[in-house]
Amino acid sequence: MTTINRRHFSTGMLAAGIIAMPGVLRAQAKPKVVVIGGGPGGATVAKYVARDSKGAIDVTMVEPLDKFVTCFHSNLYLGDFKTFDQITHPYKLSGYGVKHVRQMAAAIDRDKKQVRLADGSTLSYDRLVVAPGIDIKFDSVPGYSEAAAEIMPHGWKPGAQTRLVKKQLDALEDGATIVMLAPPNPYRCPPGPYERVSCMAHVLKTKGHTKSKIVVIDPKDKFSKMALFQEGWQKYYPGMVEWMDPKMHGGVKSIDPKAMTVTTDFETIKANMVNVIPAQMAGKIARDAGLANESGYCPIDGADMKSKIDPNIFVLGDAAIAGAMPKSAFSANSQAKVVALAVRGELSAARTFPARYANTCWSVIAKDDTVKVGGRYEPKDGAIAEVEGFVSKTGEDAGLRAQTAEENLGWYAGIVADIFA
Amino acid sequence: MRVGRAVALVLLVAASAFGGAAGAWAEGDKELGEYLSSECVTCHQLSGKFDGIPVIVGLPEQTLVHALGEYRAKIRDNAVMRAIAVKFTDEEIAALAAYFNSITPETQ
Repeated sequence: MTTINRRHFSTGMLAAGIIAMPGVLRAQAKPKVVVIGGGPGGATVAKYVARDSKGAIDVTMVEPLDKFVTCFHSNLYLGDFKTFDQITHPYKLSGYGVKHVRQMAAAIDRDKKQVRLADGSTLSYDRLVVAPGIDIKFDSVPGYSEAAAEIMPHGWKPGAQTRLVKKQLDALEDGATIVMLAPPNPYRCPPGPYERVSCMAHVLKTKGHTKSKIVVIDPKDKFSKMALFQEGWQKYYPGMVEWMDPKMHGGVKSIDPKAMTVTTDFETIKANMVNVIPAQMAGKIARDAGLANESGYCPIDGADMKSKIDPNIFVLGDAAIAGAMPKSAFSANSQAKVVALAVRGELSAARTFPARYANTCWSVIAKDDTVKVGGRYEPKDGAIAEVEGFVSKTGEDAGLRAQTAEENLGWYAGIVADIFA
Repeated sequence: MRVGRAVALVLLVAASAFGGAAGAWAEGDKELGEYLSSECVTCHQLSGKFDGIPVIVGLPEQTLVHALGEYRAKIRDNAVMRAIAVKFTDEEIAALAAYFNSITPETQ
């Protein structure tokens, strides 16, 4: 109805011969949305705003890549359950009217409502969506750096790092020791490190490398789906996984990429492969724009994911402080739909509805044995609270686990179609 | 009619057992359904393609009303769907059913 009213309004002004007034020209210009980041959060917002506004809103997605490698299911690639091609997805959003600018966003000028791109050009916006994902806090692990990540990969950002983890894993011989430094909360994909342990152990076991060992040095004394993973490690990979909580290692004092050693408060471990997953924070562009708080992540209003710092900006996905929602692709995709509707409501007077959020994280423990955790969430007191939750149970029968494995693959096919196609 | 009279009757009786889901037989609000559906299409593909998650586009409205009613009542056994459905009102279920019924699968 609003669109029709606006059209009638414009026609009336045309008849009155006042079209040349600058204010009228501004009113007739299409509202502009710029989306920084083409991951599960950003690409979904871009697609949904462009598709559902049917051309009424100008949507530009700033993302240097022409195809996206998903972090979700990258553990399945490490475990030989999927190929690299199967986790790589070209963007097919132009059909919805999304302009894809293949550059890095260099800076946000919040006063001018402009995004400066790497080549120095600028994009103006009426609303900005910031979905840069995470940055790695290299200095959170003594001795670690971007250069050291070429020897001791984190593999926590998709692409070359994922391939490096795989290459190193595949080159190991029986009897090898892999050390994983697990991250402190909050971080991308809470069950991810432990699913990775499972997938790496699966590869070792399949090759008959049962003398090999994965040592997990964790700054946390508990982790997502802990009982499920520990049950699975015992069942499928007995003696191959050693998980150490802080009491057992006293903290990581240093790592040495040249010597391939990890030194804790109690010992120095010589490894054949070290997977360092450091602490994390919101992507640089969000932090540089002053959208993050002292936690390194961005505070948002749970009602619509709007930044608590700038009312013209929405922040979603891993960069946001989304209350009870974990940092996951599912969460980002769910938040994106709330953001898309809020943006359309503000810029085109689309009918809006109360926000609702959902998440499920599936984790592969072994072939045909997958578990899940998830919930439904709603805005509460400016944050996001869980209203219903579930988690797989230990001791579940093989049939249910196989069904959950199939569900995991089906979800992946669904969400990548929803995001990229 | 998209379903036979006998099936519809069974569904009606079943729906009534879920605390008034029969009210959802009123015509659904497709616009509301379209918004709510954005949550569903994370797993259930809008194209109608099957990759391990059931196809829900193009379904008779009563079928979806019945299924969501059973998940909400914790009769059907899938934790994800139970969590999704638990807070749905009859109006929302009707809206979803109306919206998905209006979509023609691209592939079968």
